[in-house]
Amino acid sequence: MSWETQRLVAAAALTLIVAETAVIVWLLLRRTVRRRTRLVLEERLRFEALLAELSAGLIHVAAGDIDAALERALQQVGTFLGVDRGNVDEYVAGGPGVRIAWALPGLEESPRVMDADQFPWAAERLRRGEVVRFTRKDELPAEAVIDRASYERVGTRSKVSLPLRAGGPMLGVLSFGSVRAERAWPDGLVERLRLLSEAFASALERKRMELSLAARLRFETLLATLTATFSDLSAADFDREVQRALHRVVDFLGVDRGSLIEFSRDRRTTRSWAIEEWMDVGEFPWMAARLQRGEVVSVSQLEELPDEAAVDRRSYLAHRVKPQVAVPLLVGRTVVGGLVFSTVGADRAKSDELMRQLTVLGEVFANALSRKQGELEAQRLRRDLTHIGRVSAMGELTASLAHELNQPLTAILSNAQAAQRFLAADVVNLEEIREILGDIVADDKRAGEVIHRLRALIKKGDLEPTSLDLNDVVGEVARLMRSDATLRSVSMSLELAADLPRVRGDRVQLQQVVLNLVLNGFEAMREPGAGDGTLIIRTAREGAAAVAIAVEDSGIGIDEKDADRMFQPLYTTKAEGLGMGLAIARTIIDAHGGRIGAANNPRGGATFSFTLPAGTEDRP
Amino acid sequence: MIAVAPLVFVVDDDPSVRKSLTRLLESAGYVVEAFAAAREFLARERYAGPCCLVLDVRMPGLSGLDVQQTLAAAGRRMSIIFATGHVDVPMSVKAMKNGAVDLLTKPVDEKDLLAAIERAVAQDVRERGEEVRVADILERVKTLTARETEVFALVVTGMLNKQIASALGIGEKTVKVHRARVMEKMRAGSVAELVRLADQAGVIVPTS
Repeated sequence: MSWETQRLVAAAALTLIVAETAVIVWLLLRRTVRRRTRLVLEERLRFEALLAELSAGLIHVAAGDIDAALERALQQVGTFLGVDRGNVDEYVAGGPGVRIAWALPGLEESPRVMDADQFPWAAERLRRGEVVRFTRKDELPAEAVIDRASYERVGTRSKVSLPLRAGGPMLGVLSFGSVRAERAWPDGLVERLRLLSEAFASALERKRMELSLAARLRFETLLATLTATFSDLSAADFDREVQRALHRVVDFLGVDRGSLIEFSRDRRTTRSWAIEEWMDVGEFPWMAARLQRGEVVSVSQLEELPDEAAVDRRSYLAHRVKPQVAVPLLVGRTVVGGLVFSTVGADRAKSDELMRQLTVLGEVFANALSRKQGELEAQRLRRDLTHIGRVSAMGELTASLAHELNQPLTAILSNAQAAQRFLAADVVNLEEIREILGDIVADDKRAGEVIHRLRALIKKGDLEPTSLDLNDVVGEVARLMRSDATLRSVSMSLELAADLPRVRGDRVQLQQVVLNLVLNGFEAMREPGAGDGTLIIRTAREGAAAVAIAVEDSGIGIDEKDADRMFQPLYTTKAEGLGMGLAIARTIIDAHGGRIGAANNPRGGATFSFTLPAGTEDRP
Repeated sequence: MIAVAPLVFVVDDDPSVRKSLTRLLESAGYVVEAFAAAREFLARERYAGPCCLVLDVRMPGLSGLDVQQTLAAAGRRMSIIFATGHVDVPMSVKAMKNGAVDLLTKPVDEKDLLAAIERAVAQDVRERGEEVRVADILERVKTLTARETEVFALVVTGMLNKQIASALGIGEKTVKVHRARVMEKMRAGSVAELVRLADQAGVIVPTS
């Protein structure tokens, strides 16, 4: 091997070594890049795995747990990205909704980016569906001066905000922010965060739908309950049931207080029912006036009250009333009242959903008020009718009552004058005088009782249902009518069932019915062609659940053609009759849940009878 | 004229009223008999002395007006004072037409009641005197023979003896004898007196 050869070999070897070294170096270099690339790839894979896991996990979370799941997800993603804050700000029409927040310990909460007062530029872009991101605040354009100041104030150095959208309107904003250091938000990361935001948005959407479905169901149930309660409500139960209904509505709405206001037809008087007795309409004149004009009144802060609402303002302060919303109650075009709820939450007081619910609830309450007014009207009419009936029956009874009253008065006068004579004698017989005075006292009491009975009969009163023994009712009427029967040469007798169940009813009104039927019988027996002048009042058990009272006369009987009409008002076959007696009897019996009827007797005359449900339970 | 106190009957279904009226009338010096029902009173034997009846109009069973009618139908004269709590015109007219002394409204003041009773008793006494006289006259009529009765009946019609003789188909002298006997038995001093007696006794003249 020559030197040259040696040199060539050496050169070749050197070249080879260099080349090898170069290859090695190249190879070495390639490996580092690959490792770095692998590392980047691995991290990206881990993040994608996290996102996939979070997205998949959110699908199975129950609607009620979604907020908690989102918070966990924020923490995981935030930690992974090494940021300081993460927020999901739910956005509902009319105002902000729930905020889900995660932050490193010690960091104060950041303001909501959808607050257009603090972040007008960012909020606007988010609303348009754009992503807002900046690594340094000086990246923000000149028009974002307010936003920049706001970020500065809370110490945000870098931030990314993505709109949450699931096909429909914007549901909220997902934000991550950095406080300790500036950091970049490369496109790839934003792209992945966008995937995360989609998973978040669909979870929020699902939560919202399920909650609103559940709420709607609860609302429908509430409406059905209230409607059922009010549709069969007597005026007497109104106060109690309105209180209950208000409690239900307040529970449903999750507010503190509720009240129902009623305006009278002349608009001069108002009444209100409230939970916790806080609502006296007189203390909120400005609100009441607006309600009466049919306006919705919503007050979130005292500052919203105009100057003319000074009285209202004082009342708000005095009652510590928080935000309040009042809706007018309309029947046709008439404002019959208002529904007022307080402490609804500043944001909720203005939400469309609440207004929609209040409008529907308002209809239910408006109907209740209108029904109550109608019922009261009917009750007043019934009361007037029975009063007329009693007074006219009084006229017919005047003769017998004069007799009833004059007997004890006669005895009193004669006794007193006899006593005067005894006292004028030379020797006064004190024993005799004492006896006379005793008799005077007894007769005076007797006269008092007649007056009392008379007054009870004329009294214009409301229905006062009590537990009654109808035998007593019949007995009292019979005592009252006894002398009338005598005068009319009627032989009146009672056939009372011994085992009569008690009934629930108004004593005076039922006496009125029996009185009217007996007077009716008397009249029928006065007609030419009447029978032997006997009248029987019977009481009897009618099946298991009813009690019957029958007044059997021996009069001229009923003409078939009158049968349908005789219980109607102002229908009479008597020359002097008002035609009210039987109509009143029927009105009263109807109000007691009973039935009234009449039939001819096989042996002449007619029997008028009515039945009442047995039992002393309060009927609805 | 009569030493015994007049008897006042009280009929009223109300025990308090009966008792108090009895007390009052007794304190005013009357003897009182009270009845709870009209039938009880009607069943009582007739009282010969001066009396009157205080009658409630309105009672179960027979009413006051029924009692008045029943008494009249039986030819029993009675001075009746009605007492009622409720005066109605048809009833008062009926009661007064049938000879009630008075109709008082309850409560009755003693002044009115005692005045009415006084009048009623006076009327009773007067009518009672009348009754006695009529009975006396009727007693005298009973002593007449059949022929004398015929002559009496014709004399009081104003017939002359001759006409009577002709009517009865007897002699004028016989008529004169009968006539003298009638005047004597009837204790009549003149024809005019005889006519008055006949009138008072209500002698029904057989006009055969």
